[in-house]
Amino acid sequence: MSDVTVLAQQLREGQVAQRQRAAEQLAQSGEDASVAAVELVQAAGDEEQVREWAVAALEQLGPPPTAAIRQLCGLTAHENELVGYWAVTLLGRLGPAAVTAVSALTDTLQHSPHQAVRQRAAWALGQVGDGSAPVIAALTRAAGAEDPRLARLATQALAQLQ
Amino acid sequence: MAYPKSGANSKSAATRPRTKRKGRSVFSRFAWLIWTLVTSGSVAGWMISDIPVVGPVVEDFVASGSVKDVESLTSVVSQSPALASLTSELLHRLADSAAPSKAGAAAAPTSGARLQKPPDTIRIGSYNIQVFGTGKLGKPAVVDVLVQLVRHCDIVAIQEIRSKDDTVLPQFVAAVNADGSRYDFAIGPRLGRTVSTEQYAFVYDTDRIELDRSSVGTIVDTNDLLHREPFVARFRARVGQVGTPFSFWLINIHTDPDEVASEIDVLADVFQVMQTARPDEDDVILLGDLNASDQQLGRLGQVPGITCVVTGITTNTRRTKMYDNLLFQRFATTEFTGRWGVVDVQAVFGLTLEQALEVSDHLPIWAEFRAYESPPVSNTARRPDRSWQ
Repeated sequence: MSDVTVLAQQLREGQVAQRQRAAEQLAQSGEDASVAAVELVQAAGDEEQVREWAVAALEQLGPPPTAAIRQLCGLTAHENELVGYWAVTLLGRLGPAAVTAVSALTDTLQHSPHQAVRQRAAWALGQVGDGSAPVIAALTRAAGAEDPRLARLATQALAQLQ
Repeated sequence: MAYPKSGANSKSAATRPRTKRKGRSVFSRFAWLIWTLVTSGSVAGWMISDIPVVGPVVEDFVASGSVKDVESLTSVVSQSPALASLTSELLHRLADSAAPSKAGAAAAPTSGARLQKPPDTIRIGSYNIQVFGTGKLGKPAVVDVLVQLVRHCDIVAIQEIRSKDDTVLPQFVAAVNADGSRYDFAIGPRLGRTVSTEQYAFVYDTDRIELDRSSVGTIVDTNDLLHREPFVARFRARVGQVGTPFSFWLINIHTDPDEVASEIDVLADVFQVMQTARPDEDDVILLGDLNASDQQLGRLGQVPGITCVVTGITTNTRRTKMYDNLLFQRFATTEFTGRWGVVDVQAVFGLTLEQALEVSDHLPIWAEFRAYESPPVSNTARRPDRSWQ
């Protein structure tokens, strides 16, 4: 197993201190940490000392492997706001390669209880660039939202789809 | 809109470059960007003094200003295996690592003695200390590297303080002051759209720099255009021997890596708003982790006369990307001496890449300025600044 794979396993199965250390080392791995994208997204819902390093790793790992799309889609509706936020963010980073995630992203945009997650879903849909009718309809509704950031991001996404 | 009290003007409107007169209309256009005083207790560093250094090992380690004591070093190393090779000699090899051609070398710190700093210039730095919290404070060798880096600057804009613990920065500043230095700090509120938040801070040497305490604030961003709204404060040099002390705004920023382009554009507005924040202040320096190179500055790069200090060199520890920079208007901030640098922490402290990454995934950057006001390009007389009295 590669170092990153080992760290991903520690992040899944280790005790808190081990999970923290694994997250920290992944945060120092730059884009190499993308192999552990799913584990890092899940760790965003962990205890603070693990979470903060996981978030640091997520901020800089770039797009995740496409093989992670299915699992990330499953995390977009996670009850933990930060887990959903990062699942959506990583899908958005994949751009058109995440076309199979459009349904999950659209659902997240419409139904997530978390404002920051809905906002990121609007952004992600613009990045993916799938202009199918359900996406357009969801973004159009979001563009009329009272939340100025959601409305702006949805409007920008619609422009990207045209 | 809540501006700070302007006090007596030090720089008349006539001294400000003509282009800056456009600032008022710019301000009107971007009325959503206002800034307000931040008054909570956690913000004012001077309100939390004498916070002890973490644990006796660190206390001894830092208080000595060096690693003379082998036993202490052993204790430190045992807590931080990744820094096992750190030695006393290496700890004191801090010199300015080079930005090619412009940056010069500075005196290396001396063991147990305060640095001798030049009387007529000040050094302003910026440092993203990745996930700066209790975990990092618990690594004495890492703290010592950070301490020595900070001591080489008169002001450091810090990004990425991530902790629920309000004592992180006071503890760190206490460590900086363990050699008799008198640094203080101003820290901003926790910022972010989720439960994961960050704070900005300015750490500054009170022997050489004054903070205009009424100026400390966070940009208010009612339309939520920026993930982590900039933290701003106005400072003034107190070391100049000639003329009016150099005063300036600092805008501390850490952009969202997924929305860099749009946030950089908004920073152009922030910059121009801050130019108009006080009629007596023409020097505005934006610094921090832009997540963008000098070639990716969008509208910010189109602000008239804007100058990037860091060019042609990477600023991350892996030496693959340029993320960090300082920017100002060259015809206004003529106090810039042309000297700047990116401190190669790995090389300067003799660390492995792994050890350097344990300190941060970013490198500190710095620029040097004259300690007294230099005339702007449109050279006119200046009135004395009484707002600090």
